[in-house]
Amino acid sequence: MIEISNITKTFGSITALNSVTLSIRSNEFFGLLGPNGAGKTTLMNILIGYIEPDQGEVSILNKKIKRDDLETRKYIGLVPQSLAIYEDISGIENLEIFGSFYHLDKSILRERINEKLKSVGLYERRKDKVKTYSGGMKRRLNLIASILHDPPILLCDEPTVGIDPQSRNAIFDYLTSLNEEGKTIIYTTHYMEEAERLCKRLAIIDNGKIIDEGILDDLMRKSMPTETILIKKNPETSKIIDEIQKFGSVINESDHYELVLNKGALISQLYNLLESHSIGYRNIEIRTPSLEALFLHLTGRSLRD
Amino acid sequence: MFIWGLVFGNMGSGNQKLHLAFLNSSQSEVAKKIERTLDTTKAFKLVKSFKDDKGRLVKFDLLSIQEYVKKGSISAALVIPEDADKDPKVGFKLKFYYDPKNDMEMQIIQGVLQKTIMSEIPDLFFQGMKKQSLNYLGADSGKAFNNEIAAVIGKYYKIDPEWLKMETPLNDSLATTGTQRQKEYFQNALKFEQIQLVGKDIPNPWATRGVGGWAMMFLLFALTGSATSLFDEKKSGVVLRILAAPISRSDILWSKYIFNVSLGLIQLTILFIAGSLLYRIEILSNFFNLFLVITASAIACTAFGMFLAAVSKTTAQASGFGTFLILAMSSIGGAWFPVSLMPDFVQTISKVTIVYWSMEGFQQVLWRSASISEILPNLGILCGMAFVISLISLWQFKKGHVF
Repeated sequence: MIEISNITKTFGSITALNSVTLSIRSNEFFGLLGPNGAGKTTLMNILIGYIEPDQGEVSILNKKIKRDDLETRKYIGLVPQSLAIYEDISGIENLEIFGSFYHLDKSILRERINEKLKSVGLYERRKDKVKTYSGGMKRRLNLIASILHDPPILLCDEPTVGIDPQSRNAIFDYLTSLNEEGKTIIYTTHYMEEAERLCKRLAIIDNGKIIDEGILDDLMRKSMPTETILIKKNPETSKIIDEIQKFGSVINESDHYELVLNKGALISQLYNLLESHSIGYRNIEIRTPSLEALFLHLTGRSLRD
Repeated sequence: MFIWGLVFGNMGSGNQKLHLAFLNSSQSEVAKKIERTLDTTKAFKLVKSFKDDKGRLVKFDLLSIQEYVKKGSISAALVIPEDADKDPKVGFKLKFYYDPKNDMEMQIIQGVLQKTIMSEIPDLFFQGMKKQSLNYLGADSGKAFNNEIAAVIGKYYKIDPEWLKMETPLNDSLATTGTQRQKEYFQNALKFEQIQLVGKDIPNPWATRGVGGWAMMFLLFALTGSATSLFDEKKSGVVLRILAAPISRSDILWSKYIFNVSLGLIQLTILFIAGSLLYRIEILSNFFNLFLVITASAIACTAFGMFLAAVSKTTAQASGFGTFLILAMSSIGGAWFPVSLMPDFVQTISKVTIVYWSMEGFQQVLWRSASISEILPNLGILCGMAFVISLISLWQFKKGHVF
């Protein structure tokens, strides 16, 4: 459905995308995972024809797209990273404005607006000014403003930035239902848990390059050791963290360290180290690696860097 | 500050000259002296001829000099009539034709003109007084009066009475205050007849003259603010959302353009209606032409706002740059001070500002009740400016920062 072939895009001396090649199938929920500045938004902007790549080409629905390809845009909905809505008018007025860009019949547009407002729980507040909405409500409005023309492809550029877990879950559920209805969704994020929860297949991007791509389980299996070791955070373990890092890469979480062992590192030697500092086994746990660990393993740095 | 300095700091110091149409129809020596004095004074630049339809220079006559003022080519004209010194009841006659389209300018011209004549040609006044004395007393009585007064003064102060007889029309009654006759005596010594050629029937000249300048300044600020809202829309992601829809960049620019022109039309129309209701500015008698000038001004101001959005990188930059340009255009374009009070080079620069041509247009229709053909040059220049500015803006938008 979407073929991205050897795309390169530079801005001055910065290479935002470097020979990116991806293929997204119809009805897929595809994740694009990478830290800030990895090139995710640049790729999204190329997909909607907002900017043109320096090299390579993109085809959507078997049609090569160029900058300002107005025809193809009818089949795409973009949920921008920022809240691209007018705060000083009501929710329904926003939807009427953005819906009018697609030249829909007025009665159809009105029907769709009401339907979408109800589906994300904003119908009761539709006549209120957007500036009175909570962050989560604005995000939901931002999402439905992108799908009034019922596009088969939905591009979501970090659509849950800065909202509470409840609103995030509501958006996740809504996106999942859209995918189940048949929409192809490309979802960019730097949150591992979002990619793990939503995306059946994903690509990991860093510094404008695709590091790896595939089904999540396959990625984990082929790239990662079978386990990682969680070490509880306490004064004792914190004291010897430098020594622990000799065994592998450490992800610093809020209440624990996640250790991704280097190839050839021996767990027995790690146990000896912990024992010598009187740190009991209750402080460690062996677990299946997380996506965060996978990213660290592939790029050598944390997603939050 | 620069403009204030040019207008007020150099007034009368010679850097800028007030333009004054001039016609001397008298052959008298006094008339020649007035012309010589005004020709050489630093305060005035005398305009003695005009270009006819074929571009030839033609010297003024009494009719053409009045037409020149009526058309708005110049604000004032001084005419020394053929009979300037021939009326026995009047010392010396001057005719001053004027168009008070700008009150400040007119007061300054009249003040400087009278000051120049009185200070540079003081004997003009005395000769006028002498002639007046003879008129009042009769030729023989006047001479006898002079001789007797001279003899008395000469006797008491031991001065040669012959010397005193020369140019002394002194009369005790002149120094006393009082009668209408005495007032007429002074007035008729130098008769400065003022004839208003334009705007005599306008109910509120002050508001009618000023409304155009202020309207333009507010319009420029409003439309610049509206145009630079593109930056806010870009920052919020709305521009990206719109461009993700089947809408081109030129669609966005056109819709902005049409919206801003409509906003300008509404703003100016409301302003003039309010002016009509509150300050009795007459708009209905020439409303269609006024609407044409409003439309051309709104188009030009919108182009200016779009230009600012095209060449700036941020809202703050556009706002700062816009404020500077608007104030500069308003000041040199004539919204604050009459353009004619400024040095020649500023007057030349003022003609490349939107404010100048809009104000001229408003004055033409409100002050002079101009017809369509008379305002066509203004409309053409405003639309031409808008076209050129828009071309530059489009070129900038293509390689610019907004999209």
